[in-house]
Amino acid sequence: MLIPGNLRYFFTAISVLLLLCVSVAEGQTTDTLPKADTTKAKVDTVKVVQPSRQLVLGADIILPVRNYLETQRTGYEFHADYFLHDELYLAAEGGWGSSEVAYTDLKYNTRNTFLRLGFNKVLLPRENRKDWGGLMLGLRVAAAAINRSPVTYTIVDSLWGNSEGALGGKTFGGYWAEINAGVRVELFHGLIAGWMIRGKFLMNAKQFKDLAPLYVAGYGRGDKNAVFDFNFYLSYALRWKRS
Amino acid sequence: MTKKRSDTGYSIALAAKALLLLCCSMLFACTQERQPCLTPKTASFNLKCVHYLTDTNTTTQDTSLPRAVFIPLTDTPLQSLYYRTSSANFTISLSPVADSCSWLITTDSLLYAFDTLSFHYTRKLQFLSNACGYTYFYSLTAATTTYNNIDSVLITNPSVTNDVNTRQLKIFFHRN
Repeated sequence: MLIPGNLRYFFTAISVLLLLCVSVAEGQTTDTLPKADTTKAKVDTVKVVQPSRQLVLGADIILPVRNYLETQRTGYEFHADYFLHDELYLAAEGGWGSSEVAYTDLKYNTRNTFLRLGFNKVLLPRENRKDWGGLMLGLRVAAAAINRSPVTYTIVDSLWGNSEGALGGKTFGGYWAEINAGVRVELFHGLIAGWMIRGKFLMNAKQFKDLAPLYVAGYGRGDKNAVFDFNFYLSYALRWKRS
Repeated sequence: MTKKRSDTGYSIALAAKALLLLCCSMLFACTQERQPCLTPKTASFNLKCVHYLTDTNTTTQDTSLPRAVFIPLTDTPLQSLYYRTSSANFTISLSPVADSCSWLITTDSLLYAFDTLSFHYTRKLQFLSNACGYTYFYSLTAATTTYNNIDSVLITNPSVTNDVNTRQLKIFFHRN
């Protein structure tokens, strides 16, 4: 992402802060809940209750704000996850984006689409069948199809004279793996808000050597082999009974 | 029922606060300025000056040039590098607009005649970063010289990059 180093730490600090807030909130929620009916609890422990099926669809709502504020890059991202079993979710995210470099000595632009696939695991045990929130850890593998325009460059040399040139466009792939952690909370019936921090590790850095894209949607700065990123999703959950 | 509503309200308030914090942080994070370039943008051609201790043996000693002058032979108005302090190590550059270039060199601006050093090389376009752009790295193929003060030259490392610590050329001066 186009985030200066210091601000990346700021993001991390905010994430930790949010994590603490949610932990406190969940703790308070537990405290204020009425005592469970012991008879019903016994029944619940005997009868294995299968949660409903759930499909969550959502979008990153921070990216449009960034797109508005930044002129060099745009990005859009959507996500979906499907409850499998044992608090394990099949997760997918996809999107597209672009960047434009228009410096005096370097000009090009890129466009790319991306897809991530993986799993989320909710770590905290659910309080009841309708409890779909919680702290999640996730793993992803991701791929991006990147299209780079022709490049024009100028090598400035005050002694010998400037040298100008151009390079042809290029289409190539980017592949990376991710470790994610996040929290989501159900605001209303089915309406979910959540954030996720991501550690991303580029797996084909050689492809980026000749000109690392300024920004790859879904990944971040193309000149970094490892980046941290942040998403804030607003989502809607579709639920239905198991047949 | 009242409890449930208050829990939902708390969640909404928490999410709203988180969103506000994030929006504020995004405002600070968004920047359209170019990142600063923190690596050398010009390839460093590093020279070491030595002389033989005697006419017959092969042992060399650093030649500290008292007031060395390096003048690039360019089409532009004459510029030169004056070294005011005595040194045996110097850094010059190669031309990015041609496959050869020449420098005039004298060991002491007050006393000695100039020699002409000519270099032949191949250029390789090198992407440094989006902050720094492109530059050329070079591979030296030949070096020639006149012999007023210089005895000979030796390419010790043909690769000329932006690594400032690698020396590429050794210049052997006559023993005076």
